[in-house]
Amino acid sequence: MGSGAGKYIALGLIFVLALSIAGLITGAIGAGLTQSEEAKDAGETAEGPFIPKPEVHLPAQVVFPTSDREHYQAFLNAEEQEKAHGEESLTREQHEIIDEGPYQGSNFIVTNAILSSWVASILLVLLFVLGARKAALVPGRFQNFVEIAIEGLLNFVEAVVGKERSRLVFPVIATIFLFVIINAWIGLLPIYPSLGFKQGDIIQVHLLRPAGTDINMPLALALVSFVFVEYLGLKILGFGYITKFVRVGSLKHGIASLFRLQFLDAFQGLLDFFFVGPLEAFSELVRLISFTFRLFGNMTAGEILVLVSAFLVPFVATVGVYGLELLVGFIQALIFSGLTLVFAAIAITSHDAHEESHSA
Amino acid sequence: MLETLGIHFPSLAIYLVNFLLVLILLYLFAYKPILKLMDQRADRIRESLEASERAREEAASSQAAVQEQVTEARREGQRIIDLARESAERFRTEEMDKARQEAESFVERAKSDIQRERDNALAEVRASFGDLAITAAERVIRRSLDRQAHEELISQVLEEGESLRRT
Repeated sequence: MGSGAGKYIALGLIFVLALSIAGLITGAIGAGLTQSEEAKDAGETAEGPFIPKPEVHLPAQVVFPTSDREHYQAFLNAEEQEKAHGEESLTREQHEIIDEGPYQGSNFIVTNAILSSWVASILLVLLFVLGARKAALVPGRFQNFVEIAIEGLLNFVEAVVGKERSRLVFPVIATIFLFVIINAWIGLLPIYPSLGFKQGDIIQVHLLRPAGTDINMPLALALVSFVFVEYLGLKILGFGYITKFVRVGSLKHGIASLFRLQFLDAFQGLLDFFFVGPLEAFSELVRLISFTFRLFGNMTAGEILVLVSAFLVPFVATVGVYGLELLVGFIQALIFSGLTLVFAAIAITSHDAHEESHSA
Repeated sequence: MLETLGIHFPSLAIYLVNFLLVLILLYLFAYKPILKLMDQRADRIRESLEASERAREEAASSQAAVQEQVTEARREGQRIIDLARESAERFRTEEMDKARQEAESFVERAKSDIQRERDNALAEVRASFGDLAITAAERVIRRSLDRQAHEELISQVLEEGESLRRT
């Protein structure tokens, strides 16, 4: 038994080693070693025989409707031509296309990221609705999985906002978590880089792309998170929530102190009203940006890392990157939902109570 | 600026609607039933735990009651046995006393009977002796007084008395 297992391990190691060598030879690294001097001097990128040099498009690519996709492809071609041969080589038509930008006007278009988010959403809803459909006191395996996910998230929420308010916050937090994680993980499926609309030999427009790499998706989630937090604050604390930003009490105290010629107190009160309050409000808005770019940056970097690792060392390097990306997807989901949760918990904690605990 | 980052308001709107739709669907068809179920299960587990606790307490208390009853019964039994023993003892002494008394009275009566019989017999003997003496005296007086005749006479009388006593 032991020697048999050892044999398999040895075989596996040999296999991995062979793949690594093949990857090194056929990848960009191998190609770079064998590249001719002239090509190096010309600044050409070495390319392996299997994986072409990856192209990274920051904005999501248009997939549907077809006319918009054709416009987008024309835009890409024109841009490439401009880069290669200068602005003079463009026709008048191509100039117009470039001026119009990648998206025609402000139509509703389906980008590959949007399509991917639809696929992910359908998958997510199907998974959970099927798991909860025949909800029984004694759960089956599928229901058990859904329950574990929901219970884990509920415990997470309860740990931050307490048991009595957890049900109020839970649906949004859990959905943010699930939405982020499924959109991150679904992008690791091998069909993602392999489906698309070709131009020549290479895929110019991919059919699917992880939604997190489209800045509109993190932005939408950040908006949801922002509105949710402010709504909760107003709902639970009412007018008291606004005094966090418009510090009327401090202003009154400052003016009263001014008349009593207590200038230090007056200064403190006025500073609180004119500076700290607006700062609080500003920090709420800044969260929007930090939320957006944290998720967008992580997802985009992950995507680029997968592309680059596949380009440099095919077959092998991607495996490690995939493991990393699974972790990153989970962590980003946890961070996005966790931060929303913490901000919500701060928003529904009374400002006065906070002050008291601060001074105590 | 927004364009270069790829911010596109129709897409943003699509994502927002997408997310809210997912939220609503998950809330209605997954979170709500599962959370309800989990609460139910928690209630059920709590109830059954309480019930088992109650049953345990009941068993403990009923065992104590049974123990109490057993002790009580044992004490009662002991009491009854003691009572029986005591009454038996009393009965025995009473009966013995009675028997002794009876025996004593019987002996007493027998003694007095014997006494009376003896007295009667003595009185009778005494009476018949008087008669005999008188008869003997009469004969002595009638006959001549010789010594031999006397002695014969007396022994005759005595024999008569003897035979008389025997009867």
